[in-house]
Amino acid sequence: MSKNKQESKPAVQVKHLTLWEKIVRHRILILMCLPAIIFFIAFSYAPLPGIWVAFVKYNYRDGIFGSRFIGLDNFKFLATSGKLFELTKNTVLYNLAFIILGNFLAVFVAILLNEMQSKWFKKASQTVMFLPYFISQVLVGILVFYLLNFDSGLVNGILRSLGVAEESLWQPYSTPGVWPVLLVIIYLWQQTGYNSVVYFAAICGIDAEMIEAAKVDGANGFQRIRYILLPSLKPTIVVLLLFALGGIVKGNFGLFYNVVGTNPLLYSTTDIIETYVYRATVAEFNFSRASAVGLYQSVIGFVIVMTVNTIVKKIDPDYSLF
Amino acid sequence: MKKKVIAALLAATMVLGMTACGGNDSQQSSAPESSGAESSAEESPEASDAGEEESSAEEESAGGEAAAAGDIDTSEHVVINYMTTGDAPSGDAKARLDEMMAELNAILTEKVNAELDIYYISWTDYLSNYNLTLARMDGTVDLVGTASDWLDAWPNSKNGAFLELSEEMLQTYAPQTWASVPAENWELCKYNGEIYLIPEDNYAQWTNHGFTYRLDWAKEAGLADGVHSWEDMTTYFKWVKENKPDITPWDSDGTQYATMVGGWIASHSNYVAIDGINSGAMWGGTKDDLYTVYSPYMTDTDSLVEFAKMMKEWDEIGVWKTDVLNNTTSTNRDDYRIGKVAAEQHHTQTWTDLVSHTEANKIYQEDENAESGFFYFGEESKNVVALSITHGAMAVSAGSANPERALMVYDLLRNDPDCYTLFNYGIKGVSWDTDDQGMRIIPEGYNSDTDNINGMTNFWWGRNDDLEVKDATRAWDKIDAMYAEYDGIKIEYPYGQFVPEVDSIEGQISNINEVHTNYMKQIAFGKYSGTAEEIVAEYQAALEAAGINDVTAELQRQFDELYK
Amino acid sequence: MAKQDKDLAESGAKVKLGTSDKVIRGFGYAFITFYTICCILPFLVIIGTSFTSEAMVRAEGVQIIPKDFSLEAYKMVTKSGGIWKSYLLTILMTAVGTSVGLSIISMTGYALQRKDFSFRNGISFFIYFTSLFQAGLAPYYLLMTQTYHLTDSYLAVLLPLLMSPWLIILMKNFVKAIPHEITESGKIDGAGDFRIFVSLILPMLKPALATIGLFLALSYWNEWYQSSLFLSSKVAVKPLQYMLYEIVNKNDMLRNSVAGQYINLADIPQETIKMANAVLATGPIVLLYPFVQKYFISGITVGAVKG
Repeated sequence: MSKNKQESKPAVQVKHLTLWEKIVRHRILILMCLPAIIFFIAFSYAPLPGIWVAFVKYNYRDGIFGSRFIGLDNFKFLATSGKLFELTKNTVLYNLAFIILGNFLAVFVAILLNEMQSKWFKKASQTVMFLPYFISQVLVGILVFYLLNFDSGLVNGILRSLGVAEESLWQPYSTPGVWPVLLVIIYLWQQTGYNSVVYFAAICGIDAEMIEAAKVDGANGFQRIRYILLPSLKPTIVVLLLFALGGIVKGNFGLFYNVVGTNPLLYSTTDIIETYVYRATVAEFNFSRASAVGLYQSVIGFVIVMTVNTIVKKIDPDYSLF
Repeated sequence: MKKKVIAALLAATMVLGMTACGGNDSQQSSAPESSGAESSAEESPEASDAGEEESSAEEESAGGEAAAAGDIDTSEHVVINYMTTGDAPSGDAKARLDEMMAELNAILTEKVNAELDIYYISWTDYLSNYNLTLARMDGTVDLVGTASDWLDAWPNSKNGAFLELSEEMLQTYAPQTWASVPAENWELCKYNGEIYLIPEDNYAQWTNHGFTYRLDWAKEAGLADGVHSWEDMTTYFKWVKENKPDITPWDSDGTQYATMVGGWIASHSNYVAIDGINSGAMWGGTKDDLYTVYSPYMTDTDSLVEFAKMMKEWDEIGVWKTDVLNNTTSTNRDDYRIGKVAAEQHHTQTWTDLVSHTEANKIYQEDENAESGFFYFGEESKNVVALSITHGAMAVSAGSANPERALMVYDLLRNDPDCYTLFNYGIKGVSWDTDDQGMRIIPEGYNSDTDNINGMTNFWWGRNDDLEVKDATRAWDKIDAMYAEYDGIKIEYPYGQFVPEVDSIEGQISNINEVHTNYMKQIAFGKYSGTAEEIVAEYQAALEAAGINDVTAELQRQFDELYK
Repeated sequence: MAKQDKDLAESGAKVKLGTSDKVIRGFGYAFITFYTICCILPFLVIIGTSFTSEAMVRAEGVQIIPKDFSLEAYKMVTKSGGIWKSYLLTILMTAVGTSVGLSIISMTGYALQRKDFSFRNGISFFIYFTSLFQAGLAPYYLLMTQTYHLTDSYLAVLLPLLMSPWLIILMKNFVKAIPHEITESGKIDGAGDFRIFVSLILPMLKPALATIGLFLALSYWNEWYQSSLFLSSKVAVKPLQYMLYEIVNKNDMLRNSVAGQYINLADIPQETIKMANAVLATGPIVLLYPFVQKYFISGITVGAVKG
């Protein structure tokens, strides 16, 4: 870590150059970034002015910029629903749980795998952990239903065979309280294989000498994890957390829609912005309102990320996103 | 300094973005351009108008067969793209479709020097892709299949996606269609005084909902004439549950709530709903007083309470599965065909299939006594409203480069017997044939995977009973009897001319949708806690809070403007 | 369990272990074994059910060992014969997209991590910003079709997936672990920035390249959304996932939509076909994973480079 601090010094030296001199000096590095810059201009920035569609009554014949300006009318249905706060809260809380627990479990699994001695076991289990990632959300919804439904679900089948009375069987599809836990479990189950790859690769990047030296010094397993692995993973963890923050108001529609479905008995704990908007607008198609909701989510995400990134930068610039 | 760099970069890209979008814009101004083309199109019919009027006398006696065709410049061969929802066939099915299209295009080329191509909007995200394709306005599509109740016909008329079809244009380029659609029906296709849709108004179909049930079992259950009321339905379900332990009375999925309560209200009042405001069809008038807007969901409290109680009873009987609200995998209709469930809730059109002794309906092969009855919603109060004629309609894209030729092609597809049967059934002798009574049968060597042309061209926007060839496998005696019964009591859909302006009440409607879905799912499947009175009161309070009274008042204002 | 103990014993024999190592290892094997079972069971269910007849699934639900073996679902999917072409197309797109994307991402990631590159924060923000604000569907669609004319072109699928802010930031983070001295030593030897990147940095980025390459490959492999927007029915061969997705949707929609009334539905597999799709789509890509894993072993040793 102390090494990094020393390295940041050379950056300070080049301060007095003019813009042009900088460009000339770094022309190769700029060229190396150029394809990416062009890419983002072409596919992300070029359509961006079209966000104007959120403020107009979109008429196909007049185009986005020729349509009648109607101000914030496209936001109105969300604002007047009386649920905006609750929906935003649900979305943010679920995402926080996904991000924090997701990263925690991924780090946990990566470290455990790293400690495994049997290469065969390591490789096989890593591959197997990846499998849930390939199951489409639709199919996940179906599998969960087969597992949990009251009449023919697997869980109740087992309970019945154990002689549990019909009234005391489990009824998750009419018990809103269990869903936050279930949804987080399902999310973790699906994503951990994918997420842990990043950490697994990051562990491979750790200076092997350091670990060997620690072993020689007699550090035990816990100490190695505590003092070498975790600190080395810290930058990665921070970057991933920070990045995820930007999307904290954007819900995972596929998961919620396919697993919870449109069961009003469960909305009190499972309704997020996306599912609400979907239900409210499903009757009539409207590009403008969809863009309006997206803009709302972006603005909040933007504010959060800028704030947090500024704070992080103050504490340690090495960890900031930009 | 750093900030300046960012600012410069951002500015640069914004400018680039703008120009890119400017380019985009100029592309889109093919919209104004095309409206230029459109006005010239409107001019040209005027030009040919004179010629047409001269020949109009002969035209009538000659049966109007593209009388003006001689005056229309069709020297340039064009391709007309017809957009429909549905998945493109592949493999052998596509080959069979191509054979048919080749024959059809030969005819179209000869008659109007045009050929037809089908542009499929696959069912994956169809609403989104359908609208995106329309928004392109670059002539990608010419003829557009649309529907006022399920495919955004009015929103797209309003937002400029469809071309205004002047009477002159229709008379000139689609003379047979123009002549066959009565003037009052054209009125129903207008928005702001302009015609946007060509209605499918000569095709008998009933899409009023109800329960298809086993008539033979109902008789055993003591209902000698079958089911004729919701109470009978309760009796029937109870009997099934007690006497047919292996059979689920009705394996409903969670989406049926709106039709259920709508059906209940139709059966217990004279309510006539206005289409196309929200999926619950929650506003309307009554048969006796069509133009006073109200919502029975607010006023018919006692009836709703009774409904809630009965549905609770059904839930307790075990009509549907416990987790019906999450049941998305139900295959109830197929299960009905093989005798695994005792009822199917859908519309008459579906019943006409289920009642017929077709190959797929195994119940009739396994049990010769099997019979299917139909209890239609509104039977008790004789309240049946005919389908809106814009349930299927054809429009012309405002971006079309050849709107005239598109209309000419449509006129042939809809009215020319050869084109019609080719396009709807395929090549005669290969994909279909007729028996000695002129009924449509399946020829030898027919393969349902590749020969079902009807399921590939999806022409739901201009079917024509004059040219339809009746399917021999259908139980026409029962179907015709049912249609006759409907014809005796039906009223025509009264609000065809009403295109609601929902801009100012859009927010309320969305919120009402949400409240309705939320509560009605619990009510219609008996999943509420507390008493029926309480849940209905709670539901109505929520509707009021969501602004249902504002919507009713606004609709009334628009009604008054239109009808008084 | 017995087998696991044996593994434990074996590994114990190789290295001398302290108590805490034994605890970690023991717990690790137990936890990972439990977790892998949770992951593999549903997949066995999917495979089993995909080989079961639709009627049996409706009657008795999903199953691991088919009670009524049937290939109906697979026949349905492969019926049109296009699936092999779809496989080929997807493999091709995955290969091309991943290699092009990976080159650009690693170049950019390196440049953005160079401490002495004055524009790195600006460009990082410029890239990151796009993950926050998107224009929405309509503007994007119109740009792609009207300005770029990418309708019915595989480029419309290939290009937008080439990179994402997330992957670039991830790469940047991996590069961070490589000591700046390596760049410095390259400079001293008189190598240009690009030379340094190619001959000194890239070889050390193997785990990162493997990870990001894997993610890129997965996004190409699983892609259906861009295809659904830009590849119309005129395109005969669709990417695999989209093709599979279409088959399922077609069946579902026909049942549920208003339009369903017009079609006579035979006993087409509905549930089992979704399972078969999952099997068809997952099978080949899982084979890729062992290749990727190879690169995870070779950690970097800074000492070796320095020396």
